[in-house]
Amino acid sequence: MAEEMTYVNSDGLRLDGRKVDELREIKITPSVLSRAEGSCYMEWGQNKVLVGVYGPREALPQHIQDPTKALVSFIYRMATFSVSERKNPRPGRREIEISKVCGEALEAAIFLERFPNTTIDIYTHIFDSNAGTRVTALAAAAVALADAGIPMKDMVSSCAVGRAGGNIVLDLNKYEEDAPDAVDMPMAIMPRKKEVVLLQMDGLMEKKQWFEAFNLGVQGCMSVYEMQKDALKKRYLEIEKDAMQEIEKAGAKMDKAAKEGEPQ
Amino acid sequence: MTDRKIVVPGELLTDQRKKLGEHVFVDEGMVYADSLGLAEQDSDGVRVIPLQGRYMPQAEDLIVGIIAREEFSGYIVDINSFYYSFVRKDNLRKPLEKGTVISAKITSVNEINEAELDQIRVFYDGEVLDVSPVKVPRIIGKKGSMLEVLTKGTGSSIMAGRNGRVWIKDGNTALLKKAIKKIEDEAHLSNLTVRITEFIEREKKQALKAK
Repeated sequence: MAEEMTYVNSDGLRLDGRKVDELREIKITPSVLSRAEGSCYMEWGQNKVLVGVYGPREALPQHIQDPTKALVSFIYRMATFSVSERKNPRPGRREIEISKVCGEALEAAIFLERFPNTTIDIYTHIFDSNAGTRVTALAAAAVALADAGIPMKDMVSSCAVGRAGGNIVLDLNKYEEDAPDAVDMPMAIMPRKKEVVLLQMDGLMEKKQWFEAFNLGVQGCMSVYEMQKDALKKRYLEIEKDAMQEIEKAGAKMDKAAKEGEPQ
Repeated sequence: MTDRKIVVPGELLTDQRKKLGEHVFVDEGMVYADSLGLAEQDSDGVRVIPLQGRYMPQAEDLIVGIIAREEFSGYIVDINSFYYSFVRKDNLRKPLEKGTVISAKITSVNEINEAELDQIRVFYDGEVLDVSPVKVPRIIGKKGSMLEVLTKGTGSSIMAGRNGRVWIKDGNTALLKKAIKKIEDEAHLSNLTVRITEFIEREKKQALKAK
């Protein structure tokens, strides 16, 4: 690799043509699995994630039940073909950690005390990855939970922010994550109060730079939130539109019948 | 005038003091939605009608259950909730078999959502449809108006349980299933009863034409 790589060129564009505060393209499709209570398929740049939510259902074995609240079991798994070199399918240290932190982030948002002795199972599977899969999984899981009709205080929106080649950039891709001075900071907030529910950081940063990155991250999360909202509402608005067209058609038919009836 | 819109969890409904309905919560004096649904708001009240979700047993609900197994003094009933319920044999005239469909009223629900049943009625033959529990009120309609449309239109007997199970028997069940599917899909729209009436008539005419 060249000694000095420029991560942000003189036009303010990054390696993949994005601006410093631009997210990758995000596509969210809720309700894709018929057997799950709620589900979501999400594409975030090259990342592809499928999430299924099951429950709240009786927690078993009985000794794990908590009579005061529901348990959240978040399971994050990467497919063997999701990375360039085959990944061992056995859950490793990294996957167990991500499952824990993402589950805890969602616990903050769900009204757990309404479902005593139950568990809410969230299964997230990564099919393709290019940095930032944990935030993708978390954002998709929040959509799937809302799709399952589970009562929540707020949605959970997430995105990553970091540094590459001395520049603070939003939503790092793999090249930027591998920069010699890279800092990667995945974060998730509950957008209503901008309450932080997940914050991790790889690398070292100055305090001033950290605050700059954090504020950019909050901005990124807010735009993810808008996309999550739109995706959830879109399906119902489309049905409404179709039904309206049907009514108009029926109305036009009736008008026509009335007109034909007039001469008689 | 009631104002209706689709909301996601955590979306602000109003900052005024209003009578709180279902699926809303208050935080620092503001009222928010707690699940994905249709927010209904007028001058004095605010509530959210959920579009998705599981059945939460509530007292006074009429439900359709299926006998799961027999025990010494009664039957274990699957009521499509978090737990099975129990029906005592001395409430029944005849012994029941596994898989029998019954309807019952929930008399009480405890703090971990276990339900007690009463007023058992047994249903023979027919079939059970699974629908989304949050959409059952639309299948019943205001004071049973939708049920009337469905029974008159298809000639079937229907028993809609609040737990998302609908027992149907006789009549034009194929058309009835289509109509129930349509109600489920368009549950968040208004004037549904009128539309379903039209739908059933249209389908009937088409069937006649095909003959």
